[in-house]
Amino acid sequence: MEKLKKKIRSFSFWNWVIASIIFRLILIYFPKNLNLCSRPEVSTPLTSFRRLAEGYWLKQSSMSPYAGSMYHGSPLLLSLLGPLTVKRIEGQPNHLLYSLVSVIADVVSAMLIRATGQNLQVAYFGTLKSLDLVKQIELSEVHSSGDVAALIYLCNPFTIVACVGLSTSPIENMAVILCLYGACSRLVPLAAFGWVIATHLSLYPAILIIPVHLSFVLAICDLLLGYGPDAPPRKLFLQRHQQKGLSSQSKLPPGFSWGSIIHFAFWALLWSVYVLVLCGISLKQFGGLWEMFKSTYGFILTVEDLSPNVGVLWYFFAEVFEFFRNFFLIVFHVNILFMILPLAIRLHHRPCYLAFVYVAICSMLKSYPSVGDSALYLGLLGWFVNELSDMQFSLFLFCGYVGVSLLSPVMHNLWIWRGTGNANFYFATAMVYACLQIVLVVEGVSAMLNHDRKLRSLILDKPRDAKS
Amino acid sequence: MAETIENSHSDEKPKPRVRPIVRFGIFLVSHSFLVSIVCFTSGVLALFLLPVLAKNTYISENALMPGSASPMLSNQHVSDGNRLVKDLTNSNLKSSETGIESHKIIAQYMLDVGAEVSFHKFHPQMNQFHPLHFFSSPDSGKIQENYSCSSYGINTVGIIRAPRGDGKEAIVLVTPYNALTSSFGEVLSLGIAYSVFSLLTQVTWLAKDIIWLVADSQFGEYAAVSAWLREYQTPKFSSMSALNAEMCPDINNLFEIEVHSMAGSKFSNSFRRAGTMTAALVLKVRDQSEQFDDTISIYAEASNGQMPNLDLINVVNYLAVHRQGLRVNVEKLWSFLNLGWLKSLGEIFESLANIAKSLNPKFKFGIPATEYVEGTAILASSLYYQALGVPTGPHGAFRDYQVDAITLEISPKFSLDKVWRNDIILRGGRLIEGVIRSVNNLLEKFHQSFFLYLLTSPSKFVSVGVYMIAFALLIAPLPMVAASLYVDSNSSSNCSKGDSSTPSAITDTDEHGITIRSWRWLNSAKLVFIVHLWGAIVSVLPYFICQIPDCSPTTSFMIWVLLSILSLLILNSVLASPFACVKASQEKEWALVKSVTISSVFIGLGLMSVINFATAEIGALLMVPMCLLARPLKLDVRAGTFRSCCRIICNLVLGHIAFPPAAFFLLKGMLDGFGSANVGGFWMWVESLWAWNSATYLFIGMVQLPCWVLCVSILFHSC
Repeated sequence: MEKLKKKIRSFSFWNWVIASIIFRLILIYFPKNLNLCSRPEVSTPLTSFRRLAEGYWLKQSSMSPYAGSMYHGSPLLLSLLGPLTVKRIEGQPNHLLYSLVSVIADVVSAMLIRATGQNLQVAYFGTLKSLDLVKQIELSEVHSSGDVAALIYLCNPFTIVACVGLSTSPIENMAVILCLYGACSRLVPLAAFGWVIATHLSLYPAILIIPVHLSFVLAICDLLLGYGPDAPPRKLFLQRHQQKGLSSQSKLPPGFSWGSIIHFAFWALLWSVYVLVLCGISLKQFGGLWEMFKSTYGFILTVEDLSPNVGVLWYFFAEVFEFFRNFFLIVFHVNILFMILPLAIRLHHRPCYLAFVYVAICSMLKSYPSVGDSALYLGLLGWFVNELSDMQFSLFLFCGYVGVSLLSPVMHNLWIWRGTGNANFYFATAMVYACLQIVLVVEGVSAMLNHDRKLRSLILDKPRDAKS
Repeated sequence: MAETIENSHSDEKPKPRVRPIVRFGIFLVSHSFLVSIVCFTSGVLALFLLPVLAKNTYISENALMPGSASPMLSNQHVSDGNRLVKDLTNSNLKSSETGIESHKIIAQYMLDVGAEVSFHKFHPQMNQFHPLHFFSSPDSGKIQENYSCSSYGINTVGIIRAPRGDGKEAIVLVTPYNALTSSFGEVLSLGIAYSVFSLLTQVTWLAKDIIWLVADSQFGEYAAVSAWLREYQTPKFSSMSALNAEMCPDINNLFEIEVHSMAGSKFSNSFRRAGTMTAALVLKVRDQSEQFDDTISIYAEASNGQMPNLDLINVVNYLAVHRQGLRVNVEKLWSFLNLGWLKSLGEIFESLANIAKSLNPKFKFGIPATEYVEGTAILASSLYYQALGVPTGPHGAFRDYQVDAITLEISPKFSLDKVWRNDIILRGGRLIEGVIRSVNNLLEKFHQSFFLYLLTSPSKFVSVGVYMIAFALLIAPLPMVAASLYVDSNSSSNCSKGDSSTPSAITDTDEHGITIRSWRWLNSAKLVFIVHLWGAIVSVLPYFICQIPDCSPTTSFMIWVLLSILSLLILNSVLASPFACVKASQEKEWALVKSVTISSVFIGLGLMSVINFATAEIGALLMVPMCLLARPLKLDVRAGTFRSCCRIICNLVLGHIAFPPAAFFLLKGMLDGFGSANVGGFWMWVESLWAWNSATYLFIGMVQLPCWVLCVSILFHSC
């Protein structure tokens, strides 16, 4: 019976996957009607397909791909995806091959998310077991978090739009997910590879180095104690063991292990040298690596392009006086850095969740955000479906996301095409969107902490129950 | 707001100190019934107060300076115009089979005053159903097929190059003219336009090019203007003209002849352009008139309730009233003028204002009752035409390209004999001249004044900041009631579980609750989503139905209804059935469904208020009470109190009224009498809506209809 149920569930999982792929393919065949490629929500200066094609064209005519401030992505993408921008198949939509690559990237990301989610779930059960809370598993209806997360990622309209809108964010997201997958499956080289590529493509995933490290540190604990990448705080285990009357001092997880960090650093160094050498080769006659850093990372950090997007920085820097500009650039970027340490301290026992929070914060505060970034963190949110089942504001957040994603194109239309609105109309939706993400992060974190508290209270209450 | 509301419900155990805003949220949610009644009534009241709150218009853009220069249009120009009128009437008497002759005359006149002339040949384009048109930019990539040589129209275009301009900007003057069945009014409008045109070739102050478009209105005025605009704004570099020349030798010959006859002049066979259009005026003269004065009617509504900049209307109004002594009219719903209750409402407002004035003489906000009634009639028609989303004249075509445009229709007082004709040409011409001179002063495009407004008289308007308050009050109850329902259904399910349990069991139920409690709404959300998906399918269905040849409106409507019901059943069985068992197990499911429905309606109305305010306002008047009152009939019947009886009656009445076709028949019956309403009429109305790409159509299909279905399903919920 149990098995049958499982079968049905997995069957419907694959159904949904296939349905979402078919839906993407249908949309790909109507690119002109939707015109998603030119929507500011989908394609930013960093992820725009048209800019990629332009960069490729410049390179083909032996000019620097960064000439004229058109292209700001990685030179590796030019070599890998560039040829797809010009290749056409007779009788097919123009960018069919490139769209197919994005679809494949999405599916691969979903599969990686699923595998990671299953890993996490096994770890979750392991944790509950080691805390003697197995009864809770039987009582509560547990969802397979891997499936849920993968389906959220695949069926999310944001992901679909980013995929059909020919932006490069599916590939960037895949790199981030690869990194997290490697971290959760303790494949140090893979994690390092994902991290290096993700950082190379969009800079912000660099801060994921903290959760990745934590997960490796915890992985060693795991060998000792039998709990996985995401677990309640260590204190709990200590209390548990004390209650059991075990003198488990020897079994305590070690605080920090230099070995794993050095291991990761070695691989990260190796991969980054590799990537840089490749970039250097491809940009040899166009100004070399310095040119690349200036027009990719420099472009991201100095917020040169002020065309509207779903973020809040474009409006701010369009309004700010020139002599304050540098100051506010520092303020906004330090804003992300400020949050790293407190969050890392508070959530160090749950590196995957920490990674989710970092990704969400980055997508909120990055200089050129797009809906593809939200697609990533919303997908990751699915991993914690069991832990976050008590989250507040779920209906409010859901309605907010639906409302904003409908309102944003309307406001843009009002501003650009009808001319009856102005930039403030569009910026208002961007602000609401930012607020929604803040609420999501705050509520998510507090729900996770509440979950940990609940587990602790269950552990502490249990002996009392037994006595009564 | 919603945040605080939801915040309030989450902490169930009473905390000693709650933040004031949270306390306020709790207060609002717990009194949501009272609050929603107060908000809704005040919203309706605020709507009726709008004519009182209307402000006087003012010229916002300083550069316009209307009426600062004395008019230069002299009797010489008037007699020029008169000559054209005479020639055209004569040629119409002589040859009436083709309009080519009169086009030639017009072109000749334009050439005589030294303008550049070209003909624009166009084929009438059928309006097609583009469900996605609203979000996509206007493009030229429309495929045009099956031209026939017999049906084409010719626009005559004359362009004056400004002596002081750089050719980057232009002002457009449009006169619709049907050469085949030309009425005297149309000819006279040509005469007025020509008199102005001949003046403008001589003046030195002109800084913007003047384009005079004589739009061939045999396929409708709008079609001609929009065809010309499409050609003007989005040039096609296809082999279309060559193709036409091969296919239709007659047309080609005609053009050849004309070129020969006007050789050596500024005539050109290719399409001529001037600069960016700053403003456009469409000039018409009505044939008969029953008015007491010479009046001029202004039509401003473009597609989807877009209005031209208020400054343009202000300039016309100012010049017409203060300089030319013309009475200015805007459209009003005449049936409103005879409503007794409206009159007494106006009297109440007036007496209230008088009382306020007697208390403090500084309070001066009242208006006389008659003025109030008239203001309401104009406001109602303003709302009605904006809500319809169909342009009220050829000026609508300009708004699609962000050009401010209005239609001016002159209705002369007396029969058009010689003296009065001259007078009309003089005054009409001076009005047009004044407006053009004002617009000519503009340094940038119109941007100072309002785009979002409702008129209550030609010189009074309600701006977006005022009418949005009425709308916000109308829809304010929605999030509150949604939150309160959500809280109730959550807390009640908790109570029912925790009621009989011992303290030790509470932890278990608590733990059990972890899994699904806060995400239980997902099932309802799924139902709501399915119904909205169905709404989208229903909205697309007419596209396929109208492909069926030889279908009367009534049959088409029947097919539509049948297909809609069928698709609902299919969707329900395919997508919703696996979850039906889950639904049945929860007792208060309807409350959650209602909560999610209300949230979706809130989003839909909010969205629509940005796209087309008038539609959202009318929709809110219908849907908000229906959503708020919906409650399973079974529960009310079981209760059997007076209050529940009232609710049943309200629910049944609203359930009938809010169904879109029923609402249409009711509205139609109120405006035109119930005799004319039939089933086919609804289909025709819907067809006209999607032919004009009205967002109202999408609103009805994707917000109102799903909302109605959900509310009805709540009414018949078995609990």
